[in-house]
Amino acid sequence: MTTEPRYELEISRVFDAPRELVYQAFTDPDQIAQWFGPIGWAVPRDTVEVDARPGGYQRFVMVNADDPGQRSPVNATFTEVVVNELLVGEQNVEGIPGFEGVATMTLRLEFHEEPGGKTRLELRQGPFSHQLEEGTREGWNSSFGKLDDLLAATRGH
Amino acid sequence: MKADDRLSVIFAALADPTRRAILARLADGDATVTELAEPFSISLPAISRHLKVLERAGLISRSRSGQWRSSTLETAALKEATDWMERYRVFWDASFDRLDVHLRRIKEDRGGEGRERPARKGAQQ
Repeated sequence: MTTEPRYELEISRVFDAPRELVYQAFTDPDQIAQWFGPIGWAVPRDTVEVDARPGGYQRFVMVNADDPGQRSPVNATFTEVVVNELLVGEQNVEGIPGFEGVATMTLRLEFHEEPGGKTRLELRQGPFSHQLEEGTREGWNSSFGKLDDLLAATRGH
Repeated sequence: MKADDRLSVIFAALADPTRRAILARLADGDATVTELAEPFSISLPAISRHLKVLERAGLISRSRSGQWRSSTLETAALKEATDWMERYRVFWDASFDRLDVHLRRIKEDRGGEGRERPARKGAQQ
Protein backbone atom coordinates (compact mmCIF):
# COMPACT_ATOMS: atom_id res chain seq x y z
CA MET A 1 0.00 0.00 0.00
CA THR A 2 1.28 3.41 -0.90
CA THR A 3 0.41 6.22 1.42
CA GLU A 4 -1.30 9.11 -0.22
CA PRO A 5 0.84 12.22 -0.58
CA ARG A 6 -0.69 14.93 1.51
CA TYR A 7 -0.18 17.96 -0.66
CA GLU A 8 -1.61 19.86 2.24
CA LEU A 9 -0.04 22.82 3.90
CA GLU A 10 0.26 22.72 7.70
CA ILE A 11 1.44 25.67 9.73
CA SER A 12 1.46 26.02 13.51
CA ARG A 13 2.19 29.36 15.11
CA VAL A 14 1.88 30.80 18.61
CA PHE A 15 0.68 34.37 19.01
CA ASP A 16 1.20 36.38 22.17
CA ALA A 17 -2.46 37.31 22.56
CA PRO A 18 -5.59 35.71 24.00
CA ARG A 19 -7.65 33.48 21.76
CA GLU A 20 -10.55 35.93 21.31
CA LEU A 21 -8.20 38.57 19.95
CA VAL A 22 -6.61 36.22 17.44
CA TYR A 23 -10.02 34.96 16.36
CA GLN A 24 -11.29 38.50 15.92
CA ALA A 25 -8.29 39.36 13.76
CA PHE A 26 -9.64 36.81 11.25
CA THR A 27 -13.29 37.79 11.45
CA ASP A 28 -13.38 41.56 11.99
CA PRO A 29 -13.24 43.29 8.55
CA ASP A 30 -11.44 46.35 9.98
CA GLN A 31 -8.71 44.12 11.36
CA ILE A 32 -8.34 41.91 8.28
CA ALA A 33 -7.71 45.05 6.25
CA GLN A 34 -4.91 45.98 8.63
CA TRP A 35 -2.81 42.84 8.67
CA PHE A 36 -3.72 40.33 5.99
CA GLY A 37 -1.30 39.70 3.15
CA PRO A 38 2.48 39.73 2.94
CA ILE A 39 4.57 42.90 2.86
CA GLY A 40 3.88 44.77 -0.36
CA TRP A 41 0.23 43.76 -0.53
CA ALA A 42 -2.71 45.68 0.87
CA VAL A 43 -6.28 44.64 1.54
CA PRO A 44 -8.49 47.71 0.94
CA ARG A 45 -11.08 47.94 3.69
CA ASP A 46 -13.95 48.42 1.23
CA THR A 47 -13.25 45.01 -0.35
CA VAL A 48 -13.66 43.10 2.93
CA GLU A 49 -16.93 41.38 3.79
CA VAL A 50 -17.31 38.81 6.55
CA ASP A 51 -20.26 36.85 7.85
CA ALA A 52 -18.72 34.43 10.34
CA ARG A 53 -21.25 31.62 10.66
CA PRO A 54 -21.76 28.31 8.85
CA GLY A 55 -22.86 29.15 5.32
CA GLY A 56 -21.51 32.68 5.76
CA TYR A 57 -18.66 34.19 3.80
CA GLN A 58 -15.31 35.90 3.93
CA ARG A 59 -14.38 37.96 0.89
CA PHE A 60 -11.62 40.42 0.22
CA VAL A 61 -9.16 41.50 -2.44
CA MET A 62 -5.40 41.70 -2.06
CA VAL A 63 -3.83 44.46 -4.12
CA ASN A 64 -0.16 44.72 -4.98
CA ALA A 65 1.16 48.04 -3.64
CA ASP A 66 3.64 48.54 -6.48
CA ASP A 67 1.30 47.43 -9.22
CA PRO A 68 -2.35 48.06 -8.22
CA GLY A 69 -3.48 46.28 -11.39
CA GLN A 70 -2.35 43.06 -9.73
CA ARG A 71 -5.34 42.00 -7.68
CA SER A 72 -5.97 38.67 -6.03
CA PRO A 73 -9.55 38.09 -4.87
CA VAL A 74 -10.15 35.64 -2.04
CA ASN A 75 -13.63 34.23 -1.72
CA ALA A 76 -14.45 31.76 1.04
CA THR A 77 -17.62 30.16 2.35
CA PHE A 78 -17.57 29.03 5.97
CA THR A 79 -18.57 25.40 6.51
CA GLU A 80 -17.77 25.24 10.24
CA VAL A 81 -17.63 28.07 12.74
CA VAL A 82 -17.10 27.79 16.50
CA VAL A 83 -16.62 31.26 17.94
CA ASN A 84 -13.08 31.77 19.26
CA GLU A 85 -12.17 28.16 18.43
CA LEU A 86 -12.58 27.12 14.83
CA LEU A 87 -13.01 28.50 11.32
CA VAL A 88 -13.30 26.18 8.34
CA GLY A 89 -13.92 27.60 4.90
CA GLU A 90 -14.07 26.43 1.32
CA GLN A 91 -11.94 28.84 -0.66
CA ASN A 92 -12.46 29.52 -4.30
CA VAL A 93 -9.15 30.40 -5.80
CA GLU A 94 -9.09 31.97 -9.22
CA GLY A 95 -6.26 32.36 -11.64
CA ILE A 96 -4.62 29.02 -10.91
CA PRO A 97 -2.10 28.31 -13.65
CA GLY A 98 -3.35 25.66 -16.04
CA PHE A 99 -6.92 25.64 -14.79
CA GLU A 100 -9.74 27.35 -16.56
CA GLY A 101 -12.26 27.43 -13.78
CA VAL A 102 -12.08 28.00 -10.09
CA ALA A 103 -10.12 25.63 -7.87
CA THR A 104 -11.47 24.84 -4.43
CA MET A 105 -9.36 24.37 -1.34
CA THR A 106 -10.27 23.98 2.29
CA LEU A 107 -8.73 26.33 4.83
CA ARG A 108 -8.98 25.19 8.45
CA LEU A 109 -7.97 27.46 11.30
CA GLU A 110 -7.95 26.10 14.86
CA PHE A 111 -7.40 28.48 17.77
CA HIS A 112 -5.94 26.76 20.84
CA GLU A 113 -5.39 28.38 24.24
CA GLU A 114 -1.82 28.23 25.49
CA PRO A 115 -0.44 29.12 28.95
CA GLY A 116 0.34 32.77 29.60
CA GLY A 117 -2.57 34.14 27.61
CA LYS A 118 -1.14 32.95 24.32
CA THR A 119 -2.81 31.31 21.37
CA ARG A 120 -1.59 28.53 19.13
CA LEU A 121 -3.02 28.77 15.65
CA GLU A 122 -3.12 25.56 13.60
CA LEU A 123 -3.57 26.17 9.90
CA ARG A 124 -4.31 23.52 7.30
CA GLN A 125 -4.85 24.35 3.68
CA GLY A 126 -5.35 21.97 0.80
CA PRO A 127 -5.50 19.66 -0.89
CA PHE A 128 -3.21 21.09 -3.51
CA SER A 129 -3.31 17.80 -5.38
CA HIS A 130 -6.89 18.42 -6.54
CA GLN A 131 -5.58 21.14 -8.74
CA LEU A 132 -3.43 18.61 -10.52
CA GLU A 133 -5.98 15.88 -10.78
CA GLU A 134 -8.93 16.96 -12.89
CA GLY A 135 -11.23 14.66 -11.02
CA THR A 136 -9.33 11.40 -11.18
CA ARG A 137 -7.19 9.89 -8.48
CA GLU A 138 -5.91 7.00 -10.56
CA GLY A 139 -2.20 7.00 -11.00
CA TRP A 140 -1.78 9.80 -8.57
CA ASN A 141 -0.57 7.98 -5.47
CA SER A 142 2.18 5.89 -6.99
CA SER A 143 3.32 8.54 -9.44
CA PHE A 144 3.75 11.37 -7.06
CA GLY A 145 4.96 9.29 -4.15
CA LYS A 146 7.86 8.23 -6.30
CA LEU A 147 8.45 11.63 -7.75
CA ASP A 148 8.52 13.12 -4.28
CA ASP A 149 11.29 10.73 -3.31
CA LEU A 150 13.15 11.57 -6.45
CA LEU A 151 12.88 15.28 -5.84
CA ALA A 152 14.08 14.89 -2.29
CA ALA A 153 17.08 12.98 -3.61
CA THR A 154 17.94 15.54 -6.29
CA ARG A 155 17.40 18.61 -4.16
CA GLY A 156 20.88 18.45 -2.72
CA HIS A 157 22.58 18.91 -6.11
CA MET B 1 7.82 32.43 -21.49
CA LYS B 2 6.64 34.25 -18.40
CA ALA B 3 6.92 32.31 -15.15
CA ASP B 4 3.13 32.04 -14.78
CA ASP B 5 2.69 30.79 -18.34
CA ARG B 6 5.44 28.23 -17.90
CA LEU B 7 3.85 27.04 -14.67
CA SER B 8 0.46 26.72 -16.32
CA VAL B 9 1.98 24.56 -19.07
CA ILE B 10 3.61 22.38 -16.39
CA PHE B 11 0.37 22.01 -14.43
CA ALA B 12 -1.62 21.25 -17.56
CA ALA B 13 0.90 18.53 -18.43
CA LEU B 14 0.69 17.08 -14.90
CA ALA B 15 -3.11 17.07 -14.95
CA ASP B 16 -3.26 13.81 -16.93
CA PRO B 17 -2.88 10.45 -15.08
CA THR B 18 -1.16 8.75 -18.03
CA ARG B 19 1.42 11.49 -18.21
CA ARG B 20 2.03 11.28 -14.47
CA ALA B 21 2.51 7.53 -14.81
CA ILE B 22 5.00 8.14 -17.63
CA LEU B 23 6.95 10.51 -15.40
CA ALA B 24 6.93 7.95 -12.60
CA ARG B 25 8.30 5.32 -15.01
CA LEU B 26 11.04 7.71 -16.13
CA ALA B 27 11.99 8.25 -12.49
CA ASP B 28 13.36 4.69 -12.69
CA GLY B 29 15.48 5.54 -15.72
CA ASP B 30 15.34 6.56 -19.37
CA ALA B 31 12.94 4.66 -21.63
CA THR B 32 11.91 4.41 -25.28
CA VAL B 33 8.39 5.03 -26.54
CA THR B 34 7.81 1.28 -26.83
CA GLU B 35 8.92 0.69 -23.25
CA LEU B 36 6.76 3.53 -22.01
CA ALA B 37 3.71 2.22 -23.88
CA GLU B 38 3.94 -1.28 -22.34
CA PRO B 39 1.86 -0.74 -19.19
CA PHE B 40 -0.88 1.12 -21.05
CA SER B 41 -3.57 -0.06 -23.41
CA ILE B 42 -3.06 2.87 -25.73
CA SER B 43 -1.30 3.22 -29.06
CA LEU B 44 2.28 4.31 -29.64
CA PRO B 45 1.12 7.51 -31.39
CA ALA B 46 -0.97 8.35 -28.32
CA ILE B 47 2.07 7.85 -26.09
CA SER B 48 4.06 10.04 -28.45
CA ARG B 49 1.49 12.77 -28.12
CA HIS B 50 1.76 12.59 -24.33
CA LEU B 51 5.56 12.77 -24.60
CA LYS B 52 5.27 15.85 -26.76
CA VAL B 53 3.18 17.58 -24.08
CA LEU B 54 5.67 16.60 -21.37
CA GLU B 55 8.58 17.78 -23.49
CA ARG B 56 6.94 21.14 -24.17
CA ALA B 57 6.42 21.59 -20.42
CA GLY B 58 10.12 20.89 -19.86
CA LEU B 59 9.28 17.85 -17.74
CA ILE B 60 11.23 15.49 -20.01
CA SER B 61 13.88 15.74 -22.68
CA ARG B 62 14.22 13.33 -25.63
CA SER B 63 17.40 12.19 -27.27
CA ARG B 64 17.74 12.98 -30.95
CA SER B 65 20.03 10.12 -31.82
CA GLY B 66 18.92 7.13 -33.87
CA GLN B 67 15.53 5.50 -34.21
CA TRP B 68 15.35 4.51 -30.54
CA ARG B 69 14.64 7.91 -29.14
CA SER B 70 14.65 7.68 -25.39
CA SER B 71 13.05 10.06 -22.91
CA THR B 72 14.71 11.47 -19.79
CA LEU B 73 12.99 12.97 -16.77
CA GLU B 74 13.85 16.62 -16.12
CA THR B 75 13.33 17.32 -12.43
CA ALA B 76 13.71 21.10 -12.50
CA ALA B 77 10.25 21.70 -13.99
CA LEU B 78 8.66 19.36 -11.50
CA LYS B 79 10.36 21.13 -8.64
CA GLU B 80 8.92 24.38 -9.91
CA ALA B 81 5.44 22.90 -9.52
CA THR B 82 5.98 21.71 -5.94
CA ASP B 83 7.67 24.98 -5.04
CA TRP B 84 4.42 26.62 -5.98
CA MET B 85 2.76 25.07 -2.95
CA GLU B 86 5.64 26.24 -0.78
CA ARG B 87 4.90 29.78 -1.86
CA TYR B 88 1.65 29.55 0.09
CA ARG B 89 3.70 28.81 3.19
CA VAL B 90 5.83 31.87 2.60
CA PHE B 91 2.66 33.86 2.10
CA TRP B 92 1.21 32.78 5.45
CA ASP B 93 4.47 33.28 7.31
CA ALA B 94 4.70 36.86 6.05
CA SER B 95 1.05 37.52 6.86
CA PHE B 96 1.48 36.11 10.36
CA ASP B 97 4.47 38.37 10.98
CA ARG B 98 2.14 41.26 10.32
CA LEU B 99 -0.55 39.70 12.51
CA ASP B 100 1.99 39.55 15.36
CA VAL B 101 2.55 43.28 15.13
CA HIS B 102 -1.16 43.93 14.76
CA LEU B 103 -2.07 41.89 17.86
CA ARG B 104 0.53 43.68 19.93
CA ARG B 105 -1.00 47.00 18.97
CA ILE B 106 -4.54 45.79 19.75
CA LYS B 107 -3.46 44.58 23.19
CA GLU B 108 -1.81 47.90 23.97
CA ASP B 109 -4.97 49.74 22.91
CA ARG B 110 -6.98 47.59 25.27
CA GLY B 111 -5.22 48.36 28.50
CA GLY B 112 -1.58 47.63 28.08
CA GLU B 113 -1.31 43.89 28.84
CA GLY B 114 1.59 43.73 26.43
CA ARG B 115 3.10 47.09 27.35
CA GLU B 116 6.17 45.73 29.04
CA ARG B 117 7.26 43.86 25.96
CA PRO B 118 9.47 45.84 23.63
CA ALA B 119 8.50 45.56 19.98
CA ARG B 120 10.43 42.69 18.52
CA LYS B 121 12.34 43.39 15.34
CA GLY B 122 12.95 40.78 12.72
CA ALA B 123 9.37 40.23 11.68
CA GLN B 124 10.00 41.71 8.28
CA GLN B 125 13.06 39.99 6.92
